[in-house]
Amino acid sequence: MTRKQLFLLLAAVLLSLLPAAAHLFGNPYLLSLASRILIYGLAAASLDLLLGYGAMISLGHAAYVGIGAYAAGILHLHLGAPGLAPALALVADSEVSGLVILPLAVLAASLAALVIGALCLRTTGMHFIMITLAFAQMLYYFFISLEAYGGDDGLSLLGRSKLPLVNLDNDTHFYYFCLFCLIAFLLLASRLVHSRFGLILRGTGDNERRARGLGVNTGRYRLALFTIAGGSAGLAGALLANHSEFVSPGLLNWTLSGELMVMVLLGGIGTLFGPVFGAAVYLLLEEGLNMYTEHWMAYMGPLLVLAVLFARNGLLPLLISGRKRHG
Amino acid sequence: MAEALLDVTGLNKSFGALLATNDLSLSVRQGEVHALIGPNGAGKTTLVNQLSGDLIADSGRVVFRGQDITRLPAHHRARLGIARSFQITHIFENLTVAENLGLALLAGHGGNFHFFRHWRRAPRLTERLEEALTRFDLLQHRDQPAASLSHGEKRQLEVGMALVVDPQLLILDEPMAGLGPGGTVELTRIIRRLKGQLTILLVEHDMDVVFSLADRITVLVYGHDIATGTPAEIRGNALVRQAYLGEEG
Repeated sequence: MTRKQLFLLLAAVLLSLLPAAAHLFGNPYLLSLASRILIYGLAAASLDLLLGYGAMISLGHAAYVGIGAYAAGILHLHLGAPGLAPALALVADSEVSGLVILPLAVLAASLAALVIGALCLRTTGMHFIMITLAFAQMLYYFFISLEAYGGDDGLSLLGRSKLPLVNLDNDTHFYYFCLFCLIAFLLLASRLVHSRFGLILRGTGDNERRARGLGVNTGRYRLALFTIAGGSAGLAGALLANHSEFVSPGLLNWTLSGELMVMVLLGGIGTLFGPVFGAAVYLLLEEGLNMYTEHWMAYMGPLLVLAVLFARNGLLPLLISGRKRHG
Repeated sequence: MAEALLDVTGLNKSFGALLATNDLSLSVRQGEVHALIGPNGAGKTTLVNQLSGDLIADSGRVVFRGQDITRLPAHHRARLGIARSFQITHIFENLTVAENLGLALLAGHGGNFHFFRHWRRAPRLTERLEEALTRFDLLQHRDQPAASLSHGEKRQLEVGMALVVDPQLLILDEPMAGLGPGGTVELTRIIRRLKGQLTILLVEHDMDVVFSLADRITVLVYGHDIATGTPAEIRGNALVRQAYLGEEG
């Protein structure tokens, strides 16, 4: 067993025992924080597909998290409303609203990524960074001005989505559901990067001109990856909406895009698992520092600088050192 | 006379005021090694880029196997059978040697939207990959990242990636650049072995290599073809001597 597998096994055991520990210490907030880490981990890992494998520096990933969250919030509102179309009312009554809400949230984010990606991918380098940012900010201001759904104040959900077998209103169930989503994503994504599609993409990210010279229509592959990453971020958004039972337009702001990027770099770009670890370190630091001072950012900044300086490839590769980058 | 595989007529390309390609015509026959020489700045690489599709000509025509490809994008041309190597080594540095060759083998097919199965298990790939690793003497480096290869091995890999798909026309843009004497001999041997199997357009500075390998030579000066002929004819051409070979005494 390699050190990486050992590390992942250890992480899986710790994560599955965490709810028991939270009950033991009588600290339910711990569980809520852990769920948030898993969800941010999912969003960061989806961004890593773009940054670490596709070499597409998107500074607008928050847009897809936000669209997933708003899709979940808006659907929630309407599924609970009276005078609903009979087909939808049936779904709402049958206590499985999540089976509609979650897939539709992913679909909405994927579609947005498909359209925005098709436009952004006409550019490269600095222009790509700026145009992804511009689209995300456009959507941010769109949702701020969307008075019907809370506008600036955000949108409250009345309870969480309903799923068969699990009760998401129970925080322990919700935590395990987030863990399940994250692990499923990581398994699928690590298959993806070593598939034919993944090989072509990694090559395209490495040297696009060479890939074209070999006969690859690189634009189609990049757009497909952009859509997949957007959809996955949408799932994270829908989970986030359920987690806090609230959707804020702040989710679409560029600060979240920046935070996700920091999580990817901190944990290890191009490692998929690293960004999850990065999300945990980032959010725990934020919580920890927040307890001592409200100027926590002043301490967080230097810590991040040190981490980036001394762990060039990220914290996870440092911990399991000796492993190659795309292992 | 053998049939022309690639026909270039009246090609022009300018960058601002600079006329990099100036009414250039060139015909590469099926099966020959056709060398392209010229002083620095003669527009050799600009021409190669217009043949591979990395640049699009301002005017003129490029015809490959009877098909007008003047405005076709690079990946279409690759699928028609034009392979190129680059002046600066262009390989996928972060991928392993096997992944580099595997990608070259898979890239020519459109249907790579397979998301789950490992790429090595693509149909009919294993044998071709093993064969390519053996043929280009890269078997012992297969799982190494390409970035860790020596300069000569990188060249070998690059030429290998261009050749695995059995292209119709292979464009080699200064393949000997940066190679030591040993590497040059080795690569010359590889190219000589390819002679007759496929058509090669060779852009090269090393005159020994050019005169020993080429069936015909075209000389470019300021983006225009001033002469085309056999090595003996080019050696005897007064215009060429004056414009180019004269430099070397």
